[in-house]
Amino acid sequence: MSTYIERPRYHCALGGALVTINSIERAVAIVHSAPGCAASADVAATVGSGYWGTTVTDGRATPSTNIVEREVIFGGEERLKEQIAATLDVIDADLYAVITGCMTDIIGDDVRAVVAEFQKQGKPVIVAETGGFKGDSSVGYDFIWESIISQYVTKGLPKDDRLVNLFGFVPAQDVFWRGNLIELKRLLGLLGVRANTFLTPFDELPSLKESSRAALNIVFSQVHGISAAGKFEEVHGVPFVSEPLPIGPTATEAFLRRVGEQFKIDSALLEKVIADEQTHYYRFINPLTDLVNDQDFQRFGVIIGNADYVYALTRFIADDLGWIPYFAAITDLLSDEDQEKVAEHFNTIDVSLRPKLIFEKDTDRITQRLNEELEKENDPYGTPISPAFVIGSNLDRPLAAGLKAGFWGVSFPITNRIVTDQYYLGFRGGLRLATDLISVLISNR
Amino acid sequence: MGLKEDKTVPGREDRVAACMAHGGCASGIGKQDKICLKNNERGFSQAGLCQLLPTLGMLLTLPETAVVIHGAIGCGSTGFGMNTSIKLHHLLRGNPNAKDSLWFSTNLDESDVVHGGEQRLEETLLAVAEKYRPKSIIVLQTCTPSIIGDDLVGVIEKVRPLTDIPLLYSHCEGFKTKIWATGYDVAFHAMVHGFIEKDKEGPPPRKKERAPGERPKVNIINLASMGKPDELELERLLNAIGIDVVIGPNFADRETIRNLTQADLTVSVCPTHDDYLVHYLHTEYGIPYVMKDMPIGLENTSKWLLDIASQFGLEKEARAFIEVEEAKARQAVQRYLPALKGIRVFLSAGEFRAVVTGGLFQELGMEIVGLRSYHHDDFGTEFYAQLVKAQGDKDFPVDIANFQPFELVNLLKKIKPDLFCGHVFDNAWAARLGIPCITIFRIFDFYVGYRGFYEVAKKAVRNLRNHSFNTKLSQNVPEAYRKDWYDKSPFAYIKSDKLEDAADLQDTAESFQTAVAAA
Repeated sequence: MSTYIERPRYHCALGGALVTINSIERAVAIVHSAPGCAASADVAATVGSGYWGTTVTDGRATPSTNIVEREVIFGGEERLKEQIAATLDVIDADLYAVITGCMTDIIGDDVRAVVAEFQKQGKPVIVAETGGFKGDSSVGYDFIWESIISQYVTKGLPKDDRLVNLFGFVPAQDVFWRGNLIELKRLLGLLGVRANTFLTPFDELPSLKESSRAALNIVFSQVHGISAAGKFEEVHGVPFVSEPLPIGPTATEAFLRRVGEQFKIDSALLEKVIADEQTHYYRFINPLTDLVNDQDFQRFGVIIGNADYVYALTRFIADDLGWIPYFAAITDLLSDEDQEKVAEHFNTIDVSLRPKLIFEKDTDRITQRLNEELEKENDPYGTPISPAFVIGSNLDRPLAAGLKAGFWGVSFPITNRIVTDQYYLGFRGGLRLATDLISVLISNR
Repeated sequence: MGLKEDKTVPGREDRVAACMAHGGCASGIGKQDKICLKNNERGFSQAGLCQLLPTLGMLLTLPETAVVIHGAIGCGSTGFGMNTSIKLHHLLRGNPNAKDSLWFSTNLDESDVVHGGEQRLEETLLAVAEKYRPKSIIVLQTCTPSIIGDDLVGVIEKVRPLTDIPLLYSHCEGFKTKIWATGYDVAFHAMVHGFIEKDKEGPPPRKKERAPGERPKVNIINLASMGKPDELELERLLNAIGIDVVIGPNFADRETIRNLTQADLTVSVCPTHDDYLVHYLHTEYGIPYVMKDMPIGLENTSKWLLDIASQFGLEKEARAFIEVEEAKARQAVQRYLPALKGIRVFLSAGEFRAVVTGGLFQELGMEIVGLRSYHHDDFGTEFYAQLVKAQGDKDFPVDIANFQPFELVNLLKKIKPDLFCGHVFDNAWAARLGIPCITIFRIFDFYVGYRGFYEVAKKAVRNLRNHSFNTKLSQNVPEAYRKDWYDKSPFAYIKSDKLEDAADLQDTAESFQTAVAAA
């Protein structure tokens, strides 16, 4: 049974589905719900993701049935039908995705039947039931992908053994999803593997339509996107692997080696790609050596965010930055089973650098749990983890201030800077992250 | 019925026959059948807001209050955004260390939808009361618990005896009204019932007569969207003619809100925002009110001020003050007038704000060529005719739309204004067409009174001077709508449920064409 959540840092299933559709070029959502649902989810995502903002068919331009009491009493199917037909007439798009809110799921509108009529006429309309009470945005991401995969992606295409699909990036919940995907595509491309990323502004719909050609799906998460990838395997026979987010040289090298093995990449090519990227990282890092050592820029790390980032950031600060991970708080709504999976993954971190791991969705209770840990240290000066650094979301700034720690926002919501094409994945993303973190330490100069 | 007796707040379509779908021209506003307008709808619609959002935005401003959003998790997802904006407000109010707002979601899931969420709500209220000791707890009822039949009031009354913290509640289900401005009423309802009517000390007694020589004290009803600079300007205007002010209820604590019952006059700066509260204070506490104008632009400011002054026999002081202030403001904008002369402007915002800002632009020598109001009710009616008259009977198209950017973009492409002045999230549509934009209000800037008159002129000239960002942008953005949409009337999807309206619509289409041609 769930409990209340203080200062939640995600939106609902409808919101997750909505922002996923909004990230796909020439796809448009048709929200079948009360007025306000689309706006609420959209504003949360487009502001909290470092001001992703809106383009032309999202935000307040999102087609929405805006159902009120009358439809709640008499049913909203007629209104939905009218809205879909009108949307096809007015909005210039190639994929129309009907997604539903709490209201319509509770009153039991047969949205699948309504959409089926349009599908019969050959209209590119799909549908997913995404009532907000069914879960958070990550759940909504999986719901909409399951619908895209089974209702839109072409079946029975021949496989391409050098093509992969990348999953696991919930737009806005991963504030850096666009930059991250673009960088992953570049890296894989260096190895001769083409990647479909779907959710960047540079992806085209045909790559989605024909994504069943892929030889493999890579899910960059242990928990999000897994059920979508399972659906993909079931419908299109494409297997999947789950990979941690590769942040920085150590994790990215390991990732590329696994890809090399999977796709039987020529070892000379693999070594060259790794060496070139490694060189890029260290030729920029090397000149910072004075600063980092002279100024003792090692920190105790407190990391707060979703399961994927918290693991990857912990790895990066431990393996590449040489910091001491102290406390890791995972804020997703996860089942017990998923929590176990994630916790096991943390056990692969050497015990000397393994942080205390908690699963906690309440912003305030994270502080409380951290303070309990600090109490246990029994430090007579009361500063057992000074100097500390908090990598979290904007909601965690008061916690950082309480510790007199440095702070940098990596997880949703980020509202104090703009995020466009920045990314933290790969060697170069690791360089960007190192640059950002160290910049915080000198920002008062 | 009124705020005191209403168990739940009626939607504005019922309370004031508000309408959110109509297209026509300014000269026609007020001449249509109100009831018919009220029922207008769209066959194609885009996302609006729901009443929960303004309710949450207002109630989160109450200091050290915990807001519990009873529903599925998404309904509280904008809390952090409002928190950011409220922190900026506090910064402007000289309170940089204000704590973060506190908001909670009861996080109803599939099992709760079957079994009900009352127990969860009760547990949440008790836990929040004990752990955070806030100065008040406010529950917002959303669609899901309302549909599954959770008894919000029952839970509140069960918990009330168990805590000394004031409990407030709001029925603000999104599906209950098309007019999200109802959310303002809902927030006022929660504040009044929580801090006055059901307060542990009971409602304050009526104020005694003002003693001879005592300075009059007036309430200024503020808006969550009004910044500190504007509040300072309003305070300055009234103080200057010998009137003290109490500003609330947004950002106000329990005592200040109770104190609203002790004023000599209630002053609204936005009738369409405030009437529900203003009438409560009038009916229950006999407080007279001024609720006609918004002090934006010279004429409106002057009327507003004289109206208030006349309540206390201070007209002479007000006239003297107005004369000095107007002279100063007129002199200050002299340098900007040449650049503004004949500029064709399109406005978009809540109706009242849009029409009065139109008056300000006309005073600067500009012409209104189009206006979009989020909804229409009687408070704004007379201003349309005034605007048309003030520019030599040149009519202009009006779109009553709860956003609906597809209509706006269609209109803008036909009208091609020189300047767009819109609410936040409106300007982008004009910007992508390459039109220079100024925001109709921001919490950091002056808009009201004399200072506002000068600042808006300066801002408009600055944006007209260089809008290369928008110009270049317009050459690099995709089109959202099919080409043939732009050949149609912007109001093609507005439906009226009265048969004789077919004729009205024909009239509308014709007068619209004329208005566009004139513009």
